[in-house]
Order: sequence, then C-alpha cells, then structure tokens
Amino acid sequence: MSQEAYIVAASRTAIGKAKKGGFRFTTPVDLAYYAITDLLAKLPQLDPKRVDDVIVGNAVPEAEQGLQMARWVAVRSLPVEVPGVSVNRYCGSGVETIALATAKIRAGMADIIIAGGTESMSLVPTVGFKTVPNYSIANEHPDYYIGMGLTAENVADKYGITREQADEFSFNSHQKAIAAIENGKFKEFIVPVEVEEVYVENGKRKTKKFMVSQDEGPRKDTSKEGLAALKPVFKAGGQVTAGNSSQTSDAAAFVMVVSERVVKELGLTPIARMVTSASVGVDPTIMGVGPVAAIPKALKQAGMNLSDIGLIELNEAFAAQALGVIKGAELNADIINVNGGAVALGHPLGASGTYLFMKLLEEQKSRNVQYGMVSACIGGGQGIAGIFEKL
Amino acid sequence: MEAVADKQTVNVIPAKSRKIKTVAVLGSGVMGSRIALHCANIGLNVILLDIVPFNLSEEDAKKPALRNKIVNDSLAFALKSNPNPVYDKAFASRIKTGNFDDNLSLIKDADWVIEVVMERLDIKQQVFEKVEKFRKPGTLITSNTSGIPIHQMTEGRSADFKAHFCGTHFFNPPRYLRLLEIIPTKETSPEVVDFFLHYGDLFLGKQTVLCKDTPAFIANRVGVFAIAAVIKLMQEMDLTVDEVDALTGTLIGKPKSATFRTTDVVGLDTMIKVMKGAYDNLPNDEYRDVLQVPSWILKMDENKWHGDKTGQGFFKKEKGAGGKKSFSTLDWKTLEYSPSNRPKSATIELGKTIEDLPKRLKAVAAQTDKHGEFLRKLSYYTNAYVSLRIPEISDELYRIDDAMRAGFGWELGPFEQWDIVGVAKVVEGMKAAGFKVGAWVDEMLAAGNTTFYKLENGVRKYYDVASKSYKSIPGRESLIILSDLQASNKPVWKNAACRVDDLGDGVLNVSWNTKMNSLGGEVIEAINKGLDIAETQGYKGLVLGHNGVNFSAGANLAMVFMFAIDQDFDELDMMIRAFQNTVTRCRFSSVPTVAAVKGLTLGGGCEFTMHCDAAIASPETYIGLVEVGVGLIPGGGGTKEFALRASDAYYAGDTQLPQLADRFTSIATAKVATSAYEGFNIGVLDKKKDSVVLNIDRQMTEAKEKVLELYNNGYTAPIMRQDVTVLGRTGLSALYAGAAAFRVGKYASEHDEKIARKIAYVLCGGDLTSESKVSEQYLLDLEREAFLSLCGEKKTLERIQSILTSGKPLRN
Repeated sequence: MSQEAYIVAASRTAIGKAKKGGFRFTTPVDLAYYAITDLLAKLPQLDPKRVDDVIVGNAVPEAEQGLQMARWVAVRSLPVEVPGVSVNRYCGSGVETIALATAKIRAGMADIIIAGGTESMSLVPTVGFKTVPNYSIANEHPDYYIGMGLTAENVADKYGITREQADEFSFNSHQKAIAAIENGKFKEFIVPVEVEEVYVENGKRKTKKFMVSQDEGPRKDTSKEGLAALKPVFKAGGQVTAGNSSQTSDAAAFVMVVSERVVKELGLTPIARMVTSASVGVDPTIMGVGPVAAIPKALKQAGMNLSDIGLIELNEAFAAQALGVIKGAELNADIINVNGGAVALGHPLGASGTYLFMKLLEEQKSRNVQYGMVSACIGGGQGIAGIFEKL
Repeated sequence: MEAVADKQTVNVIPAKSRKIKTVAVLGSGVMGSRIALHCANIGLNVILLDIVPFNLSEEDAKKPALRNKIVNDSLAFALKSNPNPVYDKAFASRIKTGNFDDNLSLIKDADWVIEVVMERLDIKQQVFEKVEKFRKPGTLITSNTSGIPIHQMTEGRSADFKAHFCGTHFFNPPRYLRLLEIIPTKETSPEVVDFFLHYGDLFLGKQTVLCKDTPAFIANRVGVFAIAAVIKLMQEMDLTVDEVDALTGTLIGKPKSATFRTTDVVGLDTMIKVMKGAYDNLPNDEYRDVLQVPSWILKMDENKWHGDKTGQGFFKKEKGAGGKKSFSTLDWKTLEYSPSNRPKSATIELGKTIEDLPKRLKAVAAQTDKHGEFLRKLSYYTNAYVSLRIPEISDELYRIDDAMRAGFGWELGPFEQWDIVGVAKVVEGMKAAGFKVGAWVDEMLAAGNTTFYKLENGVRKYYDVASKSYKSIPGRESLIILSDLQASNKPVWKNAACRVDDLGDGVLNVSWNTKMNSLGGEVIEAINKGLDIAETQGYKGLVLGHNGVNFSAGANLAMVFMFAIDQDFDELDMMIRAFQNTVTRCRFSSVPTVAAVKGLTLGGGCEFTMHCDAAIASPETYIGLVEVGVGLIPGGGGTKEFALRASDAYYAGDTQLPQLADRFTSIATAKVATSAYEGFNIGVLDKKKDSVVLNIDRQMTEAKEKVLELYNNGYTAPIMRQDVTVLGRTGLSALYAGAAAFRVGKYASEHDEKIARKIAYVLCGGDLTSESKVSEQYLLDLEREAFLSLCGEKKTLERIQSILTSGKPLRN
C-alpha cells in the first residue's frame, strides 16, 4: 500500500520587498494563483481536476490571509472541486506543507497535492491586527511573547555572536545573492508576473503596469560600513539592526507532490523527494535556536548523519540567529546558503520554506549533491528541518 | 504721470476684511524655512521657494528634484532642528516647495508674500522686481530684514506694491519667540499696518510691535546695546564670563542662558555683525562708544570661536574620559579656557533666596557689593539708552517693553524694571553716576507722575510721552490680564498660595502660586473652595489658571513621600481620594470648568486638564502623564480617564487593542507632548472639548469666554459613567507581553515593568475573564489601590526621593 511521494514541479513568484516592492498591493491569494498557474503549466499532462488538495502555508491567517485562505487559493487557481487547507507553522510552514503532502501520499490518503505557502507582509502585519497572547502564559511568562528581534538578541548573547560578525554575515548574504542573480540562478523556478497598480495622482485615476520577475531584496550597494552605521532596533545597546535581519517580503511558492502511481501513469519526471521532516520545541525566548534541536532529530529519523548532507538552506531570520545555529549545531558554514539567504532575499514567512527548497534543489543539481536540508527557526520557540533528495 | 495714475487706482482691502489662506515665503534659510513652518503651524497653505543650485550640469538642470535641492534640503534640515520648529510633524505637509526660476508664478495664488532672502539690498530689490511680475494687486508683500531700511526696498515698484509693503520682522526661532515687529514705510497703507498688528496677534500668536524704520528697529537696537553694555562693564569692573552669566540671567529676569551662553547659541559672528551695524548706522547715538566691538572679541572672531556652531566660543564643552562632559569658560583677558565655575557673592546668594522677581530686583538694586554695583550700572546704561530712544524708535514706551519681553525673553521690560526699583530713585542714582536720562522722564516726574505704568480699575495704563498723560494700551483693555486684575481687585477667597478671583460676568478663577505651580493641599482646598462658591453663590463657572509659565509640574510629592516613608496607608488613601475627588469634581460639578493650560502640564496638572469641561491650551503646552518617572501611576483619575477614552474610541468590529496599547504606552513611557497639537495626538487633549488659543496673552480671556459659552449653551453637568468598556484578560495579556518586551529590550527596568503591569491592570479593569462594562468609580478605586501598592515599594520611594532632593529622575 505504501508508496513514495515525489516532487515533480516547483514554481514561485519573485520575492517582493514588503511595503515598497512590486507586490506591495498584490493579495496573497493572487500571489499563490500566479505560482500555481505556472506549476500547472509545467505539467500539461496533469488534469487540474485531479488535484486532491492544496495545502497552503501561511503565518498570519487573518485579513487578506484569513477566511481559510487556502480555499480561496484553490477557487482562484483550480477547478471548483479542488479543496484547500491552510497550515500554519509560522516560518516553518513552507516545509511543513511539503511534509504533510508527502506523508498523506505515502499513507495512501492522496495522489496529487499542491503544497507550499504564500504571504503578503505588505498587507498583513507580522503579528496580525489583533495580537492576544494566552492570559495564563502572559501572566507568568510574558517574555515568551517578546518580539522575534529580541529573541535574536538573546541568541546572540547565548552564543557570543558580535555585531561585527552579524554584519559580516549579512554583507556576505547580499554578495552571494547578487552573484547568484547575475549568474542567472533562481530564474528556473520564478514565474514573471505582470502587476497593475491603480492609483490617484494629482486628483486623477491612473494605472501603471510592470513586470516583477526578479527577487527584489539583494542590494549591490550594501557595504560593511553602511551596515555598521545602522542603529539597533529592538534592544537598547543591542546588535540586531534592519540590516542584519531578514527582510519582510511578499511571495508565494508551491510544489506539486504526486504518488509513484501518478508518476508512472502520466509519465512525469520526479525532480526531488522529501526524505523526512522534523519539528522540535525550544524555549520561546531563544526561539532562534530551533534548528539546533530540529536538525539532529530529522537526521535521526532518516537514519542519516550530518555528513550525509551536502547543502543546507538555513533560514536567516536574523544574522545573529543563523550564526548562533551554525555554532550550536556545529554546521559547516561553507555549505550553508551558498546563494545568499533571507537577510538579502527576504523572508515571506509562510512561503519561505518552499522557496528555500527550490534554492536548495537548484544548487543540488548544479553541484550534484544528493541530499540537502532546509531548516528554519520558528516563532514561539520551534525549529524545523526537512531533508530532501535530488532525483 | 504714470505713478500718479497708479496711486489713484490702488485699492486696499480694509484690515478687518482681509483673510490669509496662502502665504509664499521667498528664501529658505534658517529664518525662511522656520517662518514657513510657523505659517504651516497655524494652518496656512505655504509656498516655500529658493534659488536653483548654481553649477548644475545640463542634464541635472532638467531634474526637478535637483532644481529644488536647496529648498528641500533647508526644509528637511529645519524639520530636524532643535527646538522643534513645528507643532506637529504632519503640519509640514502644508508646505509646497519650489524654486525662483520655475515656480515664482505660484505667488499669484498667495495672499501674503514674505521675503527672507539674503540681507543685501540689491538682491532684495531684484527679488521684488520679479515678484511684481506675478503678484496680483492687493497681495501683501513684506520683508523679514533685520538690518536694511524698509523704505529703500521698494524703489521702482508700483504704487500698489508700495501700499501693500512693510517690514515683518520675526525672531529666531519664530515658533518660540513671540515678537513680530511691524515696520511700515510712509507709503504703506494704514489698513495694511492695522491688518498685520491684528493678524500677527490673533493668528500668528505673536506680540506685535509697531516700529519705526530706524536702524535695527526696536528689539535688536535695545538688545544689542544691553549686551554691549554688559561687555563694557565686564571689562571696566574686571569680572569673569562666569560671573557675568551668573548675574545677567534669571537673577534679573533675563533668560537662563544669560549673556554669553546666549551669544554662543546665536553665534558670535552674528552678534558682531549686529553690533558693528549699529555702530556704523548710529553716528549720533549718545552711547555709541559702548557699541564698539572690543579687540579681544575681534580676536575670537578671527579664531572662529563663534560658539556652538564652531565648537567653542565663550564656553567650550569637552568630553573627558568615560564620556563625562566638562565645561570650560573663556578668560577674556588671556583668551584661554579654564574649568567653568559657579561664582558666589552676596548678591548672587541673595537672588537665590527670593522667588518673586519684582522683590528680587528691588533687593538686588540695594546691594553694595561689586556684583550689585555691576547690576546697578547695567540698569543705568539700559535706562539711559531706552529713555533717550523715545521718540526716536517709538513714541510709546510700552512698545519697547513689549519688544524686549517677546523678542529677547526678558521677563520684564526696561521701563517695567525701572518702575519696580522706583523711577525717581533710579534717576537720582543715574545722574549722580553721570548717566544721561531722557528729558521726558524728568518732565514726567516733575509733573508728579511717579511711574511709567499705573493700574486704574484693573486696567494697566502707560505714561504717554507725547500727551504727558496716562493712556491705556490699545486693544488690551478688552483682555483679561490676570496679574493686573489681581493687583487691583480683592480676591473672593484666598489661602497662602492660592486665590479665587472674580473675572467678571459671573466667572470665577482659581489660581495658585506654588513652586513649579505644583498641586498640593492648598491648591486642592482652593479648587474645592472655588467650586463651592461658584455652585452656591450664583456664578456661571470657573477657570483654572494663573500667571505663571507652567500650568503645573504635577502633584506635590513631598506629602506622598512623607506618608509613604511612614507606610501610613490610611493617610495616603485619604490624600489620594481627596485628589481624585477634586479632579473628578471638575467634571461633575454643576458649573462648567475650563483649564487655561500652558507650559509644563504634567501628572496631576494633566489630570485636571482632562477632567475640566474644556481646556484652552497655549500651543506651547507640554502635557503628559509622567508619574512612572517617580515610580507611580497616574492616581488622580488619569489612568481611569485613559481607560474611558480608550473605551470611547472602540467601535463595533474594532480590534480595540491598538487603541488600548497606544494609551498604555503613553502612560508607561511617561510620554510628554511637545505642543498642544501633539497633546491631541497622544490623547491627553481632546478635540471634542479642548481648543488651542494661539496667543498666550488672550488665553485667560478665551477661557472665560469658554465658560460663558458652555453656560449659555445650557450647561448640564455630566453624570458619572457606568459604561466604560474594559477588556479584562484579553487586554492584560497583550499589555503584559508588551511590558516584558520593554524590559527584555532594556528600555525598561524590572521596576518599570512592575509599574507598567499596574497601569495595564487599571486600564483593563483588572483580570476580568471577559470584556465588561464598568463604572468610572470602579476604575478610580483600582487606580488608587495600584497607586497605594506602589507607595509600598522601596524603588518607588527612591525615585520620589531623587526628584525631591535633586530634581533629577532616577531609573532603578
């Protein structure tokens, strides 16, 4: 009965800069629509009606992302018979949805699932519009609810990460991302999107159209001096700045996961498979260390060693946090985020895990690396690690 | 022929009918940009223009952003400057910028064009020539020059231009310095002069002073002479810079920054320029030699020791090891710096013991030590100079006093000070010391008129030199000047620190004259007494306000501290209850109450303001709930009121928390509004009931008017509310998390967090498990309990002690 689940196609939008980028007014449902439409176009032999489910990762499911958004993603993108389910593991959502799709197919509960995530950080604030912690927890441990930036400060303290190290890491993230873009990377999975904006100028209604086809975050002119000049934003005398934190972003990223049976039936070519995925809880005040716990757990589940992993996409929520994880989990920095990370490219919360998988796969192919990993820390104190095999 | 024809067709709108909506400011330098911002402050559309940068490349010259670079940079710089030139940063959007080459045509829409370009006659004339091309007939056009004769500027201009032209001289910084000198030429229409005197007063909030077109007009003429006299006497009497600043500041009712600190702020180069200008342009001044710049000051100029802008001047600020700041003072004889000190003398010490300025001036005038001698001679110089300036620079003496108060921050004008010490006595001393006195002063005394001012039936009159009689100051008879009224009328009631006065027309006033106008037992007694009298003796209502600079720095902490140290919670409870009851009585009393607020309006002062039926606020009102600074929460109804105001801001479907969190943050971070308009933004002032009166001199009059308006509209006292929506645990959990973040982020100490949680508890109505409706009294009780519990905290007591003993807040 048990059968393998394969990833047969992947598509994403470019990652827009929240509030000022090309997708600042594009709804998360539309972002998902663009990615899913492209995904389906890559698989002409697959009848969209046969899709069993759309699993949509999203970190702040309210307002434009509310009303069980996945259903509206399905309605917008697919025949009406196709259902949709929203999944929220915050910044780990984009890995979690692939894990759920894989697990369901392996268990024989589905054959064709679209999994990924979408997030508009322009339209919905990171903490939502009404933030209400649980009273019992807030009364006893109010610091469990502190902002992510402060948890990064705590991680920096825990692992002795300096401001200089964090800025250096951030500078490199930009350099690597710019180099990747200049070498034509990322294009394989990005669907160019035409955006129309309707606005009022000098009292008159006007429209403009433009294409968004490249990640907007990386900056060629980012300099170490420029980064050093920024002020800490979360803590008096702290080290986390706007420059060494991940950027807020708008993007959607989806993959098609199908059963072995469907691969054979439709003659599809698997590009990858998720070996396993694991999540672990950690102290919420140092949520950034999540991967330190999640990575060994995933490896153990897969019966693998760290040395089996040839490339790692470690979500750069904060440079100080990423450096803390590298130290804490004793990772090889040379195989981490070789094409830059979220500090440069952006962190569209619910979509990040899925776009990081695409980045990973592209590099796995280019370096011929069989096993790679996507790992992220998660607000509230969790870590996730997904292991992927290139096929 | 043409000029004559022009003259016949000049049509000037009567002063009373003229309205200003759009103003164009030409020149965006330090003054231009700040004048533009002050015009934005009062709600005008502003067009701010300056030149296109020189040397733009052909390509760059096509880009509007680069063409407007000078004006945009100036405006951005001004907006970042300190003190803040705008009441509310958002007001800056009322300014539209442009350049002279492309946008001068915009002035066709302006009702008033103010020229603030470089101080050069030829440049100003060129600008006016261009202005004439676009200016519509009837548009006001003025110059902000401080040194160029006004009448020389309009050569070659049309009759319409000339009729609508005069000088309007603002003082830097225009938001804060209240003087506006109006300098007409012979050709300026009287309607235009009348308009500016009125408009400047009512709408720009200024003390307008009509000046003659004489060098430096009034304020700078007298002001620079006074500085020059200080320098001359310092040299003659061999005093130090530190001594002079200790003597010429608050001690004699001058700004705290006194003589040399002020010069460092303004810039020595500017001071030299004004002094030289005065010396050159005033060959007939009796005391011209005083204005000669001494060689050591010229040497300072050569060294570029211009003050703050060049890093050193009369004083030098240095950062020593460990970032500790140290100040050194210039020795004018050696031009070397040595550590600053606080000079001591009998005169300085005496001055410190007398709070009341008139009493202090009198006492100091009788001092025989060296410092007393210096101050006496300084007053002789000033008196001699101003008495000889009538009628040269002004026909009326009060204009000189007005100008010096409003333009140079003198608490009292020269004639007012002279009155206090005694005109005849001082004249005698002056003559004995060889000083000249204006002949009219002798005449005045000879005729038995012993003072420059006198009060008649509560109205202050000045001695009019021309008619040799006392006259009332035009436009001021109708205003309530509380100090004048109190000097001539008996109080309705009084105690040691407070008075209840009858303002006329059935309106009472309660005023208090405590240190920093703090609110203690006497003030509480007086407000209750005032309300008792108003409620039972047929009065229509009550104004809370006084003559001081600050409405109130807050509740008097000494009593709180005393009971808290003894842990006498019964007494504390009674005291807080009395305070709460008095504050809330201002709202629930059967008569309307109006607070006339200005300056510091903190803590308890803010709580009273929030509970009066209306506040008439000066734009310069620095208001907020600052109790956290002394380890407490607002306990006089302030926290309750914020809960109530949050509740009133909620609407169906609202997420509520942002409204609540904003108010929580305001209290928990002791936020103080830096203007009345910011007061509206942070919710301590309320647009539905409170309003701003731009001219502080009109405040008491408008407060009284407000009482009458409330009464005449049919006043029914509000009923204590039973329907305040509080969020209970939903709100508490969010605010607790917020407070923790402040602590983890090191913006708050653990004690701050503890206080913040108390504030949260009151704002949320306690740990209720659901959103609920509660009464104001329920919230007042929570507030009082929280206040009392904090009085039992050691760290709170340490904070109070620090404020009481050193005046400095303690963060612990």
